[in-house]
Amino acid sequence: MRPRNAGLLLAALAGVVPFLSDAQARGPAYVPPALPAPAGKDAPGLPPLPDASPRNASYTIDARLDPDKRTIEGSLVLDWRNTSDQALASFPFHLYWNAFRNNLSTTARGEGRRAPAERLVDERSFGWMEVKSVRRLGEPDEDLLPTLSYLNEDGNADDRTVMQVTTAAPVPPGGSARFRIEWQSRIPHGSVGRAGWVHDYHFMVQWFPKIGVFWKGQWNCHPFYTWTEFFSDFGVYDVTLRLPRGFVVGATGRLESQTSDPDGSESYRFVQEDVHDFAWTASRRFLERRARFEDAGYPPVEIRLLLQPEHAHLGDRYLEATKIALRTYGTWSAPYPYPQITVVDPAWGSGSGGMEYPTLFTGGASVLAPEALQSPEGVTIHEAGHQFWYGLVANNEFEEAWLDEGFNTYMTAKASEHSLGPEGWGRRFLEADFGRGARTGWPFVAPGVLLPRGSEYLAGLRGGGEADVMAKKAWTYRDGGSYGLNSYGKPALVMQTLEGLLGEETMLKLLRTYARRYRFAHPTTEDFLATVDEVTGGGWRSYFAETFFSADILDYAVDVKSEPARKPAGFLPGPDGRLAYTAPVREKKKRKRGGPDAGPFESRVTILRHGEARLPVELLVEFADGRVVNERWNGRERWYRFSYAGAEVVRAVVDPQRKIVIDVDPSNNEWVSDERQAVRAATKWAGRYLLWLQNLLELHTVVG
Amino acid sequence: MLGSLRDGFRSLRFNWGLVVIVLVTNLALALVLAVPLAFQLDAELAHKGAASAMMYGFDHDWWSLWSERQQGPESALGPELLGGGFALKNLDLLLKGWLPAGLFATGSGKRPVDPLVLGLGVVYLVVQAFLTGGLLAVFRRPRGGWTLRGLLHGSGFYFGRMLRLSLLSLAAVYVVFALNAPFARMVDDLAREAVSGRTALVLTLGRYALLLAALLVAHMVFSHARVLVVREERLSALLATLSSLGFCLRRPGAAAGQYAVAVAAAAALLALFTLADSWLTVVGFRTQLLALALVEAFVAARIAIRLWLLASQLELQQAAARRS
Repeated sequence: MRPRNAGLLLAALAGVVPFLSDAQARGPAYVPPALPAPAGKDAPGLPPLPDASPRNASYTIDARLDPDKRTIEGSLVLDWRNTSDQALASFPFHLYWNAFRNNLSTTARGEGRRAPAERLVDERSFGWMEVKSVRRLGEPDEDLLPTLSYLNEDGNADDRTVMQVTTAAPVPPGGSARFRIEWQSRIPHGSVGRAGWVHDYHFMVQWFPKIGVFWKGQWNCHPFYTWTEFFSDFGVYDVTLRLPRGFVVGATGRLESQTSDPDGSESYRFVQEDVHDFAWTASRRFLERRARFEDAGYPPVEIRLLLQPEHAHLGDRYLEATKIALRTYGTWSAPYPYPQITVVDPAWGSGSGGMEYPTLFTGGASVLAPEALQSPEGVTIHEAGHQFWYGLVANNEFEEAWLDEGFNTYMTAKASEHSLGPEGWGRRFLEADFGRGARTGWPFVAPGVLLPRGSEYLAGLRGGGEADVMAKKAWTYRDGGSYGLNSYGKPALVMQTLEGLLGEETMLKLLRTYARRYRFAHPTTEDFLATVDEVTGGGWRSYFAETFFSADILDYAVDVKSEPARKPAGFLPGPDGRLAYTAPVREKKKRKRGGPDAGPFESRVTILRHGEARLPVELLVEFADGRVVNERWNGRERWYRFSYAGAEVVRAVVDPQRKIVIDVDPSNNEWVSDERQAVRAATKWAGRYLLWLQNLLELHTVVG
Repeated sequence: MLGSLRDGFRSLRFNWGLVVIVLVTNLALALVLAVPLAFQLDAELAHKGAASAMMYGFDHDWWSLWSERQQGPESALGPELLGGGFALKNLDLLLKGWLPAGLFATGSGKRPVDPLVLGLGVVYLVVQAFLTGGLLAVFRRPRGGWTLRGLLHGSGFYFGRMLRLSLLSLAAVYVVFALNAPFARMVDDLAREAVSGRTALVLTLGRYALLLAALLVAHMVFSHARVLVVREERLSALLATLSSLGFCLRRPGAAAGQYAVAVAAAAALLALFTLADSWLTVVGFRTQLLALALVEAFVAARIAIRLWLLASQLELQQAAARRS
């Protein structure tokens, strides 16, 4: 073929590309509505914001990365203060990376992506953490290594993710202890868990021995269960990282110094106060982008984005999404207090995408990323949003994951809808299965299809909502799907429903009160419910009984029967008071329905409760003469019927303002008398199906 | 090559009714599933507020629940059929080996399309194998015109040979997919270990593009074989295939160039349709009729491109015969 013809052909083929992606899905620029101003430090009517955390577990860490051997050599000094009222002599520590030591750990025996059965296994999949020395520093130092043992609360003696050491003399209430630990780690491949390496990308999280939390009168230091992993005390982290030169390094906290060492390595010292964990990342491929968030009423925040080169075109979207989270979460809860935040765009093939650590989080993106699908915006807002709940409120994620993930999922959807508009619907074609966080294929965005806020979780609730009570320890859910639903989707819908029932203003006050009172405080579900009682004046416990503490699902429906009002017939009292026979009158023509002149009707509107969960609900009824009636039902029985005489009912809607988004079937909430729309809609969609099928049939001729 | 395309187009223009015949067979088969779906949707949407939302747009909540409950061929109805998504979905099915009848699909994943739909595809293939001989017999006569009786006679006359060629073609496609499987695994392993997500994307889409090219090459060989059967009254499907292979190897530029033009025309047609579809807002029966007319015009144009290619292949062979 001549070059000119080939060029024309290529141009024709290129011309079709926009029509197969999201070109049609883009609407006019979306302008978000105004947000309430953020509440200041001592805002009236709200609890004051604490200046600092208890700082009872502070770490000074020195670690060296050997990227060739895939190892870390580290030493740490832990300054720990006993904030309990008990003298303590035993101290448990998390050794998370032992979850990847072999296929016998609690994590590996579990269900999920970290389990060996569900991934490619070779030697590089495994990693470990070996403690070489544990000492209690003092006069004199005490060698605790001989006392080291491994704890197995789940009965798995092969699990080594929690060690315990015992001191000779207990630490009294209010007293302090200083521990020095030296350890060595082999880094697992990054496709296994969150931590790991992929080529020269290193994502180092849960990477050092970390002490448990003495809480509610006992140590809380669970093994590395498959789905949850966060609960630590706050402190000051002063961490020096030593790496070969040429790496771009990002970490929790601010970079205090960067020095070149005589051995050819580079040292980075990061410091951060009032955090409960420390994570870091290093890669030679990172592109670095910076931006500053400085909206009125918020403390300014420096945003540092470490980006994969192939995602350079997504940099602005990452940065803007981070600002959206800082802005919306900051006003809906309490402003982000740290002066910086680091956004990490994970490398291809790494499982580190979509994770949160103090002042550092990972996003996740594909090279082809249509704006309508809000990726990487959604994951960025979600993970940045974790700073406000996981990071600052810091509940026990092992035991009440929904308090963190559920709150955050609720607010992610709210923030995304507010700032970006509704999310589009899409799917990828011609993809290959590379596991989580590694998406290829050609993205397609369905033009004009928008997802209502929260609707993406309804399918899960319908399918698995009755498997488990929502509020329970994360490792006790029936399976991974149930954990995901009850930690993310269901609590998000419950919170959104609460917002609908309480109203925006009360919900705002509730979230602000809870976020401020429990900043740095490890609150529980009961603390949240007490805050609800306080802000609303009480009366909401039954709501939580039906949702948080229940596996019941909720489904309201409406049904309407309207018939022309009866003309009296039969034996009826006559003018003289005696019974007289009146013959039935047969209407020659069937009465016209729906119009204002259709004559009197008798209508019965029935609200049905299909699910077991019960909430009060509103009903809107519209009549042919334009009359509108609002009703309310307590939802206690299986059904309730309202009767009306007069004009025919033309529309009836249960929960007309869609406050109860936890209703698993919103489509049966509205009844309309007009049948023509159904015929038209059916024809329209059958026509679209016809188009697909005719083309599919014709495509068969390529192979036959 | 361009001359053969021009002559092929002229031949198709004189016999445009053939496009209608093929379209009718296509539409008739598709209606077998589309009509029950229309009744089902009508029943499901009756008296529901979602009907209005589905009429003027898309009610995700309703569709989500409805699709969860569907097990049969109607389960393919979804938002991916909007815009140009239907074409991507079909291409995806083709390149993952689901056409026809899931014969070449690998892996144990969930079946993406109902067996009834796949079975309908097999019926369509047989119908097209039947019609191909008749179509070529019409195209063989320059400006000859055609009658339905003549078309059916030609179709019946060549049906056995065309069916054997179709079976041979399926065997060749099986070989293509069999060779593709280890190749795809190798490419995916490379993509999995790639440093950059862009490299992985190029590798993944590249292997699908190569597979598509291989399928088109197989189609080219067997399409020319069909032409040979009619043009030279060959009796052996196998020998016709071998002759066709020789023909294509002797004239790779012209033979492949026709396909390049046909693919470009199909892509441009899809772009045009998608554009028109996005402009057309369905609000009532009149616009619905317009939308259905647009759909049928699109399918007819697509069929026309196939028949144009077939006629052009005949012209190319005849031109080659004249030169020799």
